[in-house]
Amino acid sequence: MDSQRLKASFAQVAEKGDAVALFFYSDLFVRNPHLRDMFPIGMSGQRDKLLRALGHIVSQVDDLSNLVPFLQQLGRDHRRFGIVAEHYPHVGASLLATLRHFSGTAWTDDIESDWNAAYGLVAKVMLEAADENALSSPAWWNGQVVAVERRRFDISVLRIQPDRPLPYTPGQSVALEVPSRLRHWRYYSMANAPRPDHTVDFHVRLVDGGPVSPVLVRGTQAGDRVRMGAPIGTLTLDESSPRDVLLVAGSTGLAPLKAILEQISRRAVPPRVHLFFGARSRDGLYDLEDLAKLADGFPWLTVVPAVSDEPGGHGFSSLLHSGDDGVEHGNLSDVVARRGPWDGHDAYVCGPSVMVGHTVEQLTRLGVPRDRIRLETFTDAQR
Amino acid sequence: MNSPNLPVVSEGSRLTPGELQSVVFARAALGRRGYDEEQVRNFLQYVERELVKIFTDKAALADEVNRLRAQAASGGRGVMAPEDAHFQAVRILSQAQQTADLYVADAERYTRELAHEARLHREAILSDAKGRAEQMLEDAHRKAAAVAEAAVRTAPPQPAPAPSPGSGTLPDGERLALEREIAYLRTYSDVYRTHLRSYLEALLRNVDEWESSERASLPGGNA
Ligand SMILES: Cc1cc2nc3c(=O)[nH]c(=O)nc-3n(C[C@H](O)[C@H](O)[C@H](O)COP(=O)(O)OP(=O)(O)OC[C@H]3O[C@@H](n4cnc5c(N)ncnc54)[C@H](O)[C@@H]3O)c2cc1C
Ligand code: HEM
Repeated sequence: MDSQRLKASFAQVAEKGDAVALFFYSDLFVRNPHLRDMFPIGMSGQRDKLLRALGHIVSQVDDLSNLVPFLQQLGRDHRRFGIVAEHYPHVGASLLATLRHFSGTAWTDDIESDWNAAYGLVAKVMLEAADENALSSPAWWNGQVVAVERRRFDISVLRIQPDRPLPYTPGQSVALEVPSRLRHWRYYSMANAPRPDHTVDFHVRLVDGGPVSPVLVRGTQAGDRVRMGAPIGTLTLDESSPRDVLLVAGSTGLAPLKAILEQISRRAVPPRVHLFFGARSRDGLYDLEDLAKLADGFPWLTVVPAVSDEPGGHGFSSLLHSGDDGVEHGNLSDVVARRGPWDGHDAYVCGPSVMVGHTVEQLTRLGVPRDRIRLETFTDAQR
Repeated sequence: MNSPNLPVVSEGSRLTPGELQSVVFARAALGRRGYDEEQVRNFLQYVERELVKIFTDKAALADEVNRLRAQAASGGRGVMAPEDAHFQAVRILSQAQQTADLYVADAERYTRELAHEARLHREAILSDAKGRAEQMLEDAHRKAAAVAEAAVRTAPPQPAPAPSPGSGTLPDGERLALEREIAYLRTYSDVYRTHLRSYLEALLRNVDEWESSERASLPGGNA
């Protein structure tokens, strides 16, 4: 297999953009109509993901130490879609047909055998990882909603009981599917450390016009069913570190950090922890009551709430929320920076990508080494 | 096995290789060698008939292929080569998919705009209420200040520390009136605050109810 030839071939085909993935899926479904049901009705997002993944695979084809773990994860991820070994040759055939179609006269027997070899390898790595994973883990978990708490018109906290233990590390997320939006898997972070009864909490904020989050926030009740994939994510506590901990959460970015906080609270000797919790307005601090309770109970914990879009101090809001609860004003990253120094801390940051970006920038500027900052943003997983 | 098992062919069905293999002829009559001639002749005739049928069919099919090839080459409508048929199907499916994607994107954009407008509307209602509440509060403060000022103006000047109740220079009647006035203002202010707070809470509840009735009216929102 000649990797340079492969890259050149893919580059030539990828120039045609969306048409390539469009052709691929149509070819796949014309040949195998039974596969259509496994995909969502709208396919534009799917096409992007496929092209991105193929691009990533081809670009890394010389660097197996990076590529193999990526493919293994992809193979494990495909278990929850119900993909098994029999499906791979169909996809391979349509991929080849697509590449041939768009290569035109550039297509040669050599290139064909390059692609065959590459796809064979990719499928093998994905399948082996899936098979190995099947020994220890189900393809998905069924769950039942046991409680829904509406915290604001666009934020709900859901408690879900999985049908069997769902082992995860605090800070991780699972892909979740609701019956009224089949094939629309969305990631949500577990907001608690594992409990003896295995229930997990999710903090969900409604994204205007999104297919899934409005259903979860406003259309879900106790008794409803969901499906969950295997836990993923690297925003987890560095247990070997002796340093103090800084947690910075924007809106529902609080979820994974609250799980980490719970994990810390179970330690015999917890480090000092500062948790900054920010939102645009005061009522966006949907979990402040509980955090304040925790801070009251744990002398090692300081909770700093912050709002960015409401002026501080006077008038109406101070009347409604009588009693000063120490809400700071300003952008979360600035509020964090004001309260420094943080250079002796491990930092964990989660929230909207702009907020996460600014915070990481500020922290590194203030001398926190980049490798002591772990982060997650809630935009599409990087694939 | 003494009876021949020549295939029993019903009209229209075909000789199969399996049948050919399992043919068994009877031995010839006593005094002659080999198989029963009659049977062998019948069988050969049968095979010949089959071969003729096959060649005729083959020729007919070849004609048909040529006819179709010619038709396809001349761009005529009708049957096309399987490869072209596949591409055609792929094209049709692609177009259908793009239409579906468009509908989905439009629907998503529409709900996003709708939700955005509702959000703005909600914020406008709340900020209007906030503004009004603050205005009312300010009015109340102004009135209270005016009343207090008037009370001070009508009262004669006080010596700095009042050693004990009743021993001031203020005549008892006036002092009592002033204390009553202050108590009244305090109660008024408390009652006013309570009213204002419950008014605002009711307003927030209204907004919430409005939302949930809107949610209940969404199809499929709460199956
Ligand atoms: C690893 C991971 C963990 C996540 N954890 C949570 C969580 O704990 N709680 C939670 O509420 N969400 C979380 N999300 C986001 C969640 O997966 C969904 O994207 C979100 O709920 C919107 O779903 P949707 O189907 O309504 O809209 P989508 O189709 O997902 O998104 C519609 C549009 O909004 C954008 N968008 C998506 N999410 C956001 C957002 N948070 N802010 C602004 N724009 C956004 C998308 O890029 C897209 O353009 C997480 C995402 C990832 C990748
Ligand atoms: C080279 C092999 C493959 C690659 C690179 C690939 C890539 C991807 C990617 C990147 C995703 C998105 C993952 C996510 O959203 O988490 C995905 C999803 C999916 N893939 Fe594959 N895939 C491959 C093989 C297959 C095969 C053989 C099938 C079988 C039909 C398949 C069916 C699906 C389905 C059903 C989804 C989910 C679609 C949805 O509901 O959103 N994939 N694939």
